[in-house]
Amino acid sequence: MYRVLRPFELFEPATVGEATQILFARGAGAKVLAGGVDLVMKMRTRKIEPGYVVSLKKIPQLNGITGDGDSGLRIGALATLRSIELSAAAQNYPVLCQGINSISSIQVKNMGTAVGNLCVATPATDVAPPLFVLGAKLKIAGVDGEKLIPIEDFYAGVNKTVLASHEIVTEIILPGVCAGTGMAFLKIGKTGATIAKVNAAVLLVLADGKCTEARIALGAVAPAVIRAAEAETVLKGEKVDDGLIEKAAATATGEASPITDFRSTAEYRRVMIKALVKDALHKAVAEAGA
Amino acid sequence: MPKEMASFTVNGKPYELIIEPQMTLLDVLRNQLGLMGTKYACGTGDCGACTVLVAEKPVLSCLTLAATVKGEEILTIEGLADGNNLHPIQQAFVDAGAVQCGFCTPGMILTTKALLDENPDPTPEDVQAGLGGNLCRCTGYVKIVDAVLAAAETLRRR
Amino acid sequence: MKKETAIVGQRIPRPDTPAKTMGMAEYAADIKLPGLLVGRILRSPYPHANIKSIDTSKAKQLPGVAAVITFADVPQTLFNRSSMAEAFPPPILAGEVQDEYVLSDKARFVGDWIAAAAATDIYTAEKALDLIDVEYEVLPAVFDPVAAMQPGAPVIHAGKERNIAATMEYPFNCGDVEKGFKEADYIVEGFFSTSSQKMCQLEPDAAVACWYPGGRVTVWSPNENPHLAKRVFAKVLNIPDGLVRWITPAVGGGFGGRLSFGVEFICAALAKATGKPVRVECTREEDFIGHDSRTAEYQTMKMGVKKDGVITAIEHRIISDSGAYYSHSGSTTGVNLIHTLGLLRCANIYGIAQIVYTNTPVGGGFRGYGNPEGAFAIQQLIDEAAEKIGMDPLEFRLKNAREAGEPSCWAPIALESCNLEQCIRLGAERIGWREKRGLKKKGQVRRGLGMSIMTHASGAGGFLLEHSNAIIKLNEDGSANLIVSPCEMGQGILGALSQIAAEALGLRYEDIHVVTGDTDVTLFDIGSHASRSVYVIGNAVVEAARDVKRQVLERAAKKLAVSVNELDIQAARVFVKADAEKWVSVSEIAREAIYNFTLTGAHISAIGSFQSDNWCPNFQAAFAEVEVNMETGEVKVIKFVVAHDIGRAINPLNVEGQIEGGVVQGIGFALYEDFVVDKNTGNTITDSFANYKIPSILDIPEIEVILVEEPVPSGPFGAKGVGESGLVNIAPAIANAIYDAVGVRICSLPMTPEKILMALNA
Repeated sequence: MYRVLRPFELFEPATVGEATQILFARGAGAKVLAGGVDLVMKMRTRKIEPGYVVSLKKIPQLNGITGDGDSGLRIGALATLRSIELSAAAQNYPVLCQGINSISSIQVKNMGTAVGNLCVATPATDVAPPLFVLGAKLKIAGVDGEKLIPIEDFYAGVNKTVLASHEIVTEIILPGVCAGTGMAFLKIGKTGATIAKVNAAVLLVLADGKCTEARIALGAVAPAVIRAAEAETVLKGEKVDDGLIEKAAATATGEASPITDFRSTAEYRRVMIKALVKDALHKAVAEAGA
Repeated sequence: MPKEMASFTVNGKPYELIIEPQMTLLDVLRNQLGLMGTKYACGTGDCGACTVLVAEKPVLSCLTLAATVKGEEILTIEGLADGNNLHPIQQAFVDAGAVQCGFCTPGMILTTKALLDENPDPTPEDVQAGLGGNLCRCTGYVKIVDAVLAAAETLRRR
Repeated sequence: MKKETAIVGQRIPRPDTPAKTMGMAEYAADIKLPGLLVGRILRSPYPHANIKSIDTSKAKQLPGVAAVITFADVPQTLFNRSSMAEAFPPPILAGEVQDEYVLSDKARFVGDWIAAAAATDIYTAEKALDLIDVEYEVLPAVFDPVAAMQPGAPVIHAGKERNIAATMEYPFNCGDVEKGFKEADYIVEGFFSTSSQKMCQLEPDAAVACWYPGGRVTVWSPNENPHLAKRVFAKVLNIPDGLVRWITPAVGGGFGGRLSFGVEFICAALAKATGKPVRVECTREEDFIGHDSRTAEYQTMKMGVKKDGVITAIEHRIISDSGAYYSHSGSTTGVNLIHTLGLLRCANIYGIAQIVYTNTPVGGGFRGYGNPEGAFAIQQLIDEAAEKIGMDPLEFRLKNAREAGEPSCWAPIALESCNLEQCIRLGAERIGWREKRGLKKKGQVRRGLGMSIMTHASGAGGFLLEHSNAIIKLNEDGSANLIVSPCEMGQGILGALSQIAAEALGLRYEDIHVVTGDTDVTLFDIGSHASRSVYVIGNAVVEAARDVKRQVLERAAKKLAVSVNELDIQAARVFVKADAEKWVSVSEIAREAIYNFTLTGAHISAIGSFQSDNWCPNFQAAFAEVEVNMETGEVKVIKFVVAHDIGRAINPLNVEGQIEGGVVQGIGFALYEDFVVDKNTGNTITDSFANYKIPSILDIPEIEVILVEEPVPSGPFGAKGVGESGLVNIAPAIANAIYDAVGVRICSLPMTPEKILMALNA
């Protein structure tokens, strides 16, 4: 039970290249700092004790939210949750704004970054499920160059990403939003200011009354965020009515593996998956039709 | 660990301080500048009692490494009143009965300032959304909402 | 009849709040002293372990470390961590189990304090803790009181076989419950469990101590009973009381948690060992684990009723989880029995409780102090009984609640005043009881109404030591210093006492300067607990003011050449009642008394003393409207109407604040606050605000407060207490509302959606 952090060495590189070089040199003993909400907290409580911290805050190329609903959105690694939520560009992606909005602390949103939230890799993240259904790709930079991966390939288990110790995510890239799209994010927790027991994000594209695209992402009910692929198959190509939504929601429930912990029970989480997916799909249909 | 000389502007005054990487902004404000109004209440980012404004935005000083806010304009609770004349937000909190034990109050007031700077005419729901990161155990929040709405009105009339 | 007053009854701001809004209020962790060292505590990682050896040599050698202490370095005196121990009259005093040392001789829960270090800075102090080598002999642990009572369970305190710290019977057991149950037309019963709710006051535990040449020691502590704490402190350290000075800084919330010692003793021990002032601070995690929580209580209750609504018998059996040390567990359980079984009229009552040790964090007393726990049980059984006989539960309560003139919960004392009926009727009207109860519920989201009634103390007069003293002295400008010793922890007592003083003296509110928080200056006072402060300290203030006013009037009478009866004081002027143009200022009287050249001088001042033998209970009816989602089990509290029999609201703003704060704490207690200990390791899982959820500003319902003001003659300006009452009715009212909405009754706290859904699907 510690009140203060253990001393460490702080690096403040000016470029991505410098940052990855330092990370490569220090290996697992180095951690990346962006907003610091998670890192500083874990260092203070001694859950992790890195000897080196590499701050990205002085790398200008990591700032910025650019684009729009047509050409797509690029969110830099240093873009704070609050700035994304308030940006004109992100308003074209309501499901992302809803996910961020469900984080009740303004302070956390002023400090924390979307990329940082993804990298913490908590299964209950409110940022990842929206990005899953939006078809996000993550640009990753390491000492051996850059690569682009779909967000579905980013997670490797509980609190684990596929990042090597020298790699950082520099950008989130979202495609444009096509006509006929509806999306929604819902979350359930103990209070209005809390970590999710279950959350769900959905995105539907409707054309001529039929569903041409369906994406459902669930959080807090598996080692990492998952896409409910079978439930999506139920919807794709069909006319989305109440009965189909009910079926899709029930299918999604079977695809998750919720646990019982001090927050909730597996049985309850299963019930809530169905309820949230159902509600979210109704909302998405209404928005797509509008 | 390496010490460095760092410049900060706190409550409008410039300071040159010797800091180390592991020092949080909270501890620098309290231990080096003697500004005790910013409180440590949880150290995990959940309660908002350590809130200060950095570049006019409310942030959690207990999770901010001092080294990462070098050169920034920082406002603590001590910077709000004009001498002993309370800022309208402070006065509104006093008048509405929104202060009981007072431990959450500095953070609550600074977050309120940021809220009202951004949204001068908030609804009660806006107030709740704006203060969602600040816990209070004494008041039940009812009079805090009253105080913020009253402060908003006073500031609009100014 | 409510007396006409100018200052009492006003919604005026309190004197301590402006400084709090400026960040100028000084709490324990803010205190600076020359040479101040920082102290940190080493806590056991095991729930149950013998300490075979502690090697502090490496820690002591670390540069910057001034002292490292263990069990061997502290007084070898057992005590109970309650600062209230000395307020219990014999033989109750003998019953308070004294089972702790300043640093523990054995680890009895994860977090138990084993050693401590003081150093020049916190980094060094924490490094020193890392260098202390403790050899533990890990023992089997037990985390549940029922398991702890089984033969063969690990023995946590030597001599307490089966870990039963104490057994107590309801002191007013009467009649014959078996006979009563036979006479009943219906019997309702249930098993109710309430949780170890954490106070979660925003200011984590902290203290400062310093010893001076000559042997005096000053302790800066947020303890709620400063004078009593000083007494216990002196006893444990075996030093004369006069050597101890107890200073109360600004306190960031108490809620009963600070009726127990926190880190003061360890802090004083470090200060003694170093010869320097030491400040011990705790992290929030340590506050969750090391600071008291509400004592979890497991209650079996049975009630017999006749068709006409008469209660023929009540039986109440409690198992209380004391945690690793006794603290207030016995007292809160006793208060549960007393308030729960004494609220209603019944000829045959039997109550019994066992207080049981477990290897978990310590159970103490949290706002309501056993009353919320008992209310959760009996107020639900009342609803069940009413349903069985087809009576409106509101009518059932009206029929059975004891009234003025009948024995109060503390049976030897009759109820001086009881306006519960008015509270019930006013509250019912505002919530729409008749219109909304019994409406057919349909759909996925259903609303329901529930109610609960309660009584609570205004101090412990009649059964514990009740003793307050106030000093008033007039300054040369006619203002008054009011020297009192409650514990201002946010409830607004300093403002309320100032209003009482100003009103009683005839001065203005701004003329009162409160002096408090230093036992060298203040006279003896019990402090703040049992919602006593306005009632008991207020009466002492009235007493002192009466004497000061008399002195002023006597001097003014001479000056104005009238008799004393012709004068009164208002707004700091002494005036002739029949001719208000004839007046002299209080300041002139006060100044001329001091700067007196005729050998008739004095510093106009007085001591007011009050001992209460009447706990003067206050009453409350609370009504909840909730919305339950049948698909998700989620409960949304829409509205609470709380009608409180306050006697007289000295400051309605403060009273509302106490009730609103209590309602919101009650909602957390009812719906989601859950203190969880890992049953394998004994680790506290809920040791942060992320994991232990208290209500946020997003979680509050509409709250309407109705103040029923029928002044009680024995109260200052007719006032009764309110500090704890806000919390008592909340969980049962919500439970009853959930039942009204969806027909399931949840008998364990918190009433989570998981439990509700399971009950709905059963």
